[in-house]
Amino acid sequence: MTTDKLPDSAPDGDDRTLLQKRVDRRRALAILLGGAAAGTAAVAACTPRAPMSKESKEAKLLAWREYIKGNYRTMTEEERAETIARLERLAEIKSGVDVTIQGTQAQPGVIFGYAFNISKCQGFRSCIDACINENNLDRKAATNYIRIFEIEDGVVDLDHADATFTHEVPAEGHFYMGTQCFQCADPPCVKVCPVGATWQEPDGITVVDYDWCIGCRYCMAACPYWARRFNWSAPEVPAAEINPNQHYLGNRARKAGVVEKCHFCIHRTRKGQLPACAEACPTGARVFGNLLDPNSEIRWVLANKRVFRLKEDLKTEPRFWYFSD
Amino acid sequence: MMAMRLFVMLSCAGFAWTSSGCREQQLTPDEKSAELGTSPGHELPDVARAVPGSSAAVRDTAVTPGALAGVQAAPVELWTGPGDHKFEVALRTADPSTAMSRRFGRTTLRTSLRTRAADLGQYPCTSCHLGRKIVLNDKRVPDAHQNIKVVHPKQTGATCSTCHLSDNVELLTLKSGERATLDHTYRLCAQCHFAQADAWAGGAHGKRLDGWQGRRVLMGCADCHDPHKPALESRIPFRAPRIERTRNP
Repeated sequence: MTTDKLPDSAPDGDDRTLLQKRVDRRRALAILLGGAAAGTAAVAACTPRAPMSKESKEAKLLAWREYIKGNYRTMTEEERAETIARLERLAEIKSGVDVTIQGTQAQPGVIFGYAFNISKCQGFRSCIDACINENNLDRKAATNYIRIFEIEDGVVDLDHADATFTHEVPAEGHFYMGTQCFQCADPPCVKVCPVGATWQEPDGITVVDYDWCIGCRYCMAACPYWARRFNWSAPEVPAAEINPNQHYLGNRARKAGVVEKCHFCIHRTRKGQLPACAEACPTGARVFGNLLDPNSEIRWVLANKRVFRLKEDLKTEPRFWYFSD
Repeated sequence: MMAMRLFVMLSCAGFAWTSSGCREQQLTPDEKSAELGTSPGHELPDVARAVPGSSAAVRDTAVTPGALAGVQAAPVELWTGPGDHKFEVALRTADPSTAMSRRFGRTTLRTSLRTRAADLGQYPCTSCHLGRKIVLNDKRVPDAHQNIKVVHPKQTGATCSTCHLSDNVELLTLKSGERATLDHTYRLCAQCHFAQADAWAGGAHGKRLDGWQGRRVLMGCADCHDPHKPALESRIPFRAPRIERTRNP
């Protein structure tokens, strides 16, 4: 052992004394107990002066009830309403924002589909901006659901595509291709989830129950499109920028250690609105609609335009098509 | 010189008031159809005449689905959407109560559901063009469309009168001799850009307003493309994402 001699430039002596210097057991115990006693004393000294506020008591109780709740899919209607009420109250206590969390069910006879016009997209990234604001994405980690790839004309070559361009767009001799979660009809991410925290809804949207996810990230490994994002830390959104229009399976507050992904703006699309990305696109490159409605725009695109899907040979059946004029 | 300037200003103010407030009411149905370039017997659907809802409802369009239900829209002629369904194009209006703009990310683009005057400072055109011929960039007039960049006419060899009716500049003139209002610019554009017009009617070109469900109201050609300089301008994109490189492809 060479720990007898400490380096001269040890920055904080006390910690290292115990960890790196050879000390006998009695002395070590004394140091540890001394530290523990001091800590207890500090807590005891602080507690009477700062009693737990009513709100933080309530928050703790609510958080505990949230902790022991079930999977969203197995809940009864009452249980769903209760958990939504608890989450709304928790959000109000935490950030002071009066959020509305919906539990809107899928509309019957609707399966969502998306089409992306690669000859229209100019790479402005307005969709990414709108997505961040709409879905309360983590500002600190700069989470994005959408990527816009800049690709040289001639071939769809994502290996040599650049998603981090900063120059003025559109660049000469390039086209732009956006990716996000493709809401596959046969999603590999759902198959690998060991706890059933992610599933496909009747309208084709694959959702995540953020309170059931254990953060194993199997789904991220299984997704061939790299569409899922992991929260390494609790997402941070300034209170003024929180979108209060939320959905339990969509853009409500996430926590550290869970996976999230694009959900086709479930809180908007189930009410008949367009996803935020489609609404924000200034070029009209994004077409969204109901695949089961023969009169929808998405069906017109599929019937009249030359379309393709990414990695079609994997048979994941993405519900996201690319087309050109 | 001074007197002339005063006359122009006064006439502008007077006609702006007349046109914005009373113009719609003054027209009989026959005159209105004539202006739209349709036969007198052709009745306009109710939506075209629907009274706009409260201004608050219109401004909330981005959050409330179906908020466009009370908004005026022009029925599209000659084109039908998917499944031979008729659709509408959002109507340009000079009425400030229906003014709105839509946010596209951090930028705000004005759509057709805006006050006309916000975008085109001199609308209605008759406030200056009183049947007289006025040259573009006329030095005698303080604001004679100096903002218009004649890129498209230069590329195609077109002159003002190729598209604008010289007697009444609020109307567009089509090759067939028909007239179209500024709400029906697609009829003019489609004379050359027929493939784009088909894609627009089908749903692969342009933007749909008010969600994917229900009434289909689209933005018209000139809502995104400046008719005199149609190409979208290049710009600096929104900030680049930080990409986690955890796996080698």
